[in-house]
Amino acid sequence: MKRLWTALAFAIIALVGGGTRQTVAAADTITIGFTVSETGALNVDSLAQLHGFELWRDQVNAAGGIKVGGKGYQIRFVSYDDQSRPDRVQQLYSRLITQDNADFLFSPYSSNLVATAAIISEQYGKVMLTTGAAEEKTYQLGNKYLFQLYSPAKDYLAAAMDLMKKKDPTAKVALVYSDDGFSKAVAAAAKARAKELSQEVVMDEAYAPSTTDFGPIINKMIGAHADVMIGGGHYPDGTTLARQMFDQKAPMKFVCMLVAPDSPQFASLGDAAVGLAVPSQWEPSVTYKPQFGPDPATFGRDFQAKYGIEAGYHAAGGYAAGLILQQAIAKAGGLDQEKVTAALNATDATIFYGHVKFATDPQNHGLQLGHDMVLAQWQKKNGQLVKEVVWPDAAKTADLLYPMR
Amino acid sequence: MSLLRQPMLWLILGAMALFAGLPGFGGDVALREGLFLTAIAIILASNLNLMIGYTGYVNFGNIVFFGLGGYFGVWLTTMHGWPLVPAAIVAAILVSTIALFFGLGILRLRGSYFTLATIGINEAVRALVSNIDAWGGSTGMYLSVSVYQPLGGPRQALWIVYFLVIGIMGASLFLSWFIRRSKFGLGLFAIREDEDAASVLGVHPALYKSVIYSVSGFLPAMAGALFFFKNGVIQPDQAFDLTMSTEAIVMLMLGGQGSVTGAAVGAFLYDQLRSTLLTSSMFSQFQLVIAGILLLLIVLFVPGGLIGWIGERWPRLRRVLE
Repeated sequence: MKRLWTALAFAIIALVGGGTRQTVAAADTITIGFTVSETGALNVDSLAQLHGFELWRDQVNAAGGIKVGGKGYQIRFVSYDDQSRPDRVQQLYSRLITQDNADFLFSPYSSNLVATAAIISEQYGKVMLTTGAAEEKTYQLGNKYLFQLYSPAKDYLAAAMDLMKKKDPTAKVALVYSDDGFSKAVAAAAKARAKELSQEVVMDEAYAPSTTDFGPIINKMIGAHADVMIGGGHYPDGTTLARQMFDQKAPMKFVCMLVAPDSPQFASLGDAAVGLAVPSQWEPSVTYKPQFGPDPATFGRDFQAKYGIEAGYHAAGGYAAGLILQQAIAKAGGLDQEKVTAALNATDATIFYGHVKFATDPQNHGLQLGHDMVLAQWQKKNGQLVKEVVWPDAAKTADLLYPMR
Repeated sequence: MSLLRQPMLWLILGAMALFAGLPGFGGDVALREGLFLTAIAIILASNLNLMIGYTGYVNFGNIVFFGLGGYFGVWLTTMHGWPLVPAAIVAAILVSTIALFFGLGILRLRGSYFTLATIGINEAVRALVSNIDAWGGSTGMYLSVSVYQPLGGPRQALWIVYFLVIGIMGASLFLSWFIRRSKFGLGLFAIREDEDAASVLGVHPALYKSVIYSVSGFLPAMAGALFFFKNGVIQPDQAFDLTMSTEAIVMLMLGGQGSVTGAAVGAFLYDQLRSTLLTSSMFSQFQLVIAGILLLLIVLFVPGGLIGWIGERWPRLRRVLE
């Protein structure tokens, strides 16, 4: 009996203790930790972001690493699957910092996972570059170590409203969006913008992110005589909504949807994709003149060569996060968190991804101020689906297709 | 003192000491984070055991207590500046009161109808909360870093929350154990075996069921308040996540329903397995597949759960592992 108890006690200690082994990185490496949604609903967007990180790492390592004081530091990644769910994010990020000895952090994908991870970055005073997260609230809680690469959520659909005002001021707008933090914040900002521009909003409806049958919502849109649909959410619901609108022959003149149409995979919808627009953080055809790092065309070409697909903005955001961190480390001349934080606070640069500058006031620390969004639209050129930049005028590669069908 | 001679008492105290001591002494934060989630799992499974294991009513929407407790807790601490502990206690009282009213309504249903109603409650509460603007609607509420200041900054606050959760874990196990040994518990077992016969024998099923439904919500609500306080953000999708409800049921099946140790051991093993698979470089790609296969095997071949199986092999242990 006694032996059984001893054995049981040892078994428990072994099981618990087994998870705590330390990993020690080699001296000349910089370890960056993050979680990826390898499984779950955010998988497509999150993997694109991961590809951006990886391309950056491979190119920097091939060029001899990050140069600090004449020494080249190789970059090492440690990452875990967060399953697109926030419940284990804090556990995994704590582990990345305390066991895997991550020097710096990248964010998970999507606003609510980032909000959860941000607490851990703040708790340990670890710099975290957030990409794939646009919601503003996270940056208004008194954080000191967060730095956002994406333009905030309020910018997403405001551009679509501006474009409509110019193109068709009498168009009736239906706002149909996923009932999640990011999409709701975007839709609320779009509605406010519509009011400012006195554009008529005839419908304002949120759907559950897991919705698979949009029939009733589409019927309601048709019933409300909407000309323009603005909204969407993430990849799965966005593609389903787009396909069902096409199947139901909803007579829309213009559809602008979040996130989903940006993915190169969206082209698999065929004719259902034609005319759909997406507010984008970045498009391969933009023409920014970078102060350092690759230019947009080189990045696009390298990405295509490595992964066989066109780079979307999630991938560009991932690469940009690496590039900005790299520059900050080089400027700080070391891995000291405070010095790198100071260097990031001072960042005001243009790279292939566009202008990058962070808010430094305590109320909004880390919020992206410099970056501008563009509006891209799927159009058919010689029977091929291509994504063209249609707004703003300064960056456009084609005219808006209006009405789209 | 007969209580002091009960092995169960020492088992529970020992488990609490291990949970608090292992990360506490070395200051091992990664271990703490792992055990924190395990402790939450044990709290959820133990309290669910009161419904499923003791009373025979499958509550599929048990996570509603946890989520609602979280909402009340976060609301009181952030919007009204309450200290954490009173906020958690008041949240639990509110949730239990609400549960009592729900219970009086839905516990007239039996079997799968009851189960469906519990899912309905969870979904209804989620939809309701998503539309309460004072609670942030579907974006939820975000905690400012400054709420951790009264507890000595975020680092120390998370340790305090951890020890509080260990306390609630111990309380859950003691609650399960005391109810199991009480006359009230016997009444619940009678309802589980045959509700009609029980009422003929003088048990008042409607009252008993409502009370246990409400009681089984108290500690999970407190745990929810602490969990989301630590989490820093609360959103309807995370607070009322049916997957967590289902997982709690799986934990019960794994350990053995109806038994105090069964619920705890099942929760411990399940949660450790999940987090080990998730972080192992070899299995992380198909950790869900492995977890699924393992659970299938257990349910097929060891339907009584781990503790049930041990009890069959070594009947003498049955008196120890209640």
